[in-house]
Amino acid sequence: MELSAEYLREKLQRDLEAEHVDTTLNRCSCSFRVLVVSAKFEGKPLLQRHRLVNACLAEELPHIHAFEQKTLTPDQWARERQK
Amino acid sequence: MAAGAAEAAVAAVEEVGSAGQFEELLRLKAKSLLVVHFWAPWAPQCAQMNEVMAELAKELPQVSFVKLEAEGVPEVSEKYEISSVPTFLFFKNSQKIDRLDGAHAPELTKKVQRHASSGSFLPSANEHLKEDLNLRLKKLTHAAPCMLFMKGTPQEPRCGFSKQMVEILHKHNIQFSSFDIFSDEEVRQGLKAYSSWPTYPQLYVSGELIGGLDIIKELEASEELDTICPKAPKLEERLKVLTNKASVMLFMKGNKQELKENGELLPILRGEN
Repeated sequence: MELSAEYLREKLQRDLEAEHVDTTLNRCSCSFRVLVVSAKFEGKPLLQRHRLVNACLAEELPHIHAFEQKTLTPDQWARERQK
Repeated sequence: MAAGAAEAAVAAVEEVGSAGQFEELLRLKAKSLLVVHFWAPWAPQCAQMNEVMAELAKELPQVSFVKLEAEGVPEVSEKYEISSVPTFLFFKNSQKIDRLDGAHAPELTKKVQRHASSGSFLPSANEHLKEDLNLRLKKLTHAAPCMLFMKGTPQEPRCGFSKQMVEILHKHNIQFSSFDIFSDEEVRQGLKAYSSWPTYPQLYVSGELIGGLDIIKELEASEELDTICPKAPKLEERLKVLTNKASVMLFMKGNKQELKENGELLPILRGEN
């Protein structure tokens, strides 16, 4: 299975109706860092948000060596960008 | 001659050359025990262990033995955190069930025999084992008000994420107990299923999963970490509690029964003379 940042980005964008997705390769070719901004995260505690991401990438995660994620609602992201 | 050639083919240890081939192999061999030898051509012990594997392959034809050049297929080596050669990984149902680091022929033989004969294909035995495991995991996650399941120990973390997690907990003076998931493969895999959480480290408070490093970092940033996790009592707090324990508190050397240096004070307090 060819895992590319682009592939993950598209999947996350589709499944989570994300407003914005950033995927970057970390230290090696199977280590990723993602930022997902989605209205679906509204009202959900962090653990639930991360579970949504994990569920979306359920097939891919076992093949990923290291995975870091940041989950924001559109409001939170707007505030972060202003800083 | 033909019989000899067939025997050699059966005993030969197949070489896995790519990550794709490895994934395929895991799927194909899901129904039996698969032993993978991570090796390097420059390590003489690997050649010896290959011979041991070939012998075991002859004795136990139902077990699949393969070897993989660790440096030749780095994605697989990194995924399973192969840090030295030879390292052996054991798979059943595409799941890693055991690991052996180092060239220990008797240990390898023992593990292969144990896993080859273990009754994981008996459904009733499986259910029983699963229930025991869940109970064990429940107890473990409740073992302390704050439990960290990590790679290595707080004194010697064996992964960057686990190390960062410990640093954050220490920085905020959070009291926690830890469990090294490298010390127990059953817990390592079982906990992932128990909590539906695929990675380590994992932090639990009152038996509930709080999350991994990402979440702890976000909680730290939003200053919620202190409200969720129990703190180690500071000296000042301990003194406050102790000095308020009774209306009159005597801090002495020794206890009431064994009078030492403050022996003169006690009779006065007791109203004796």
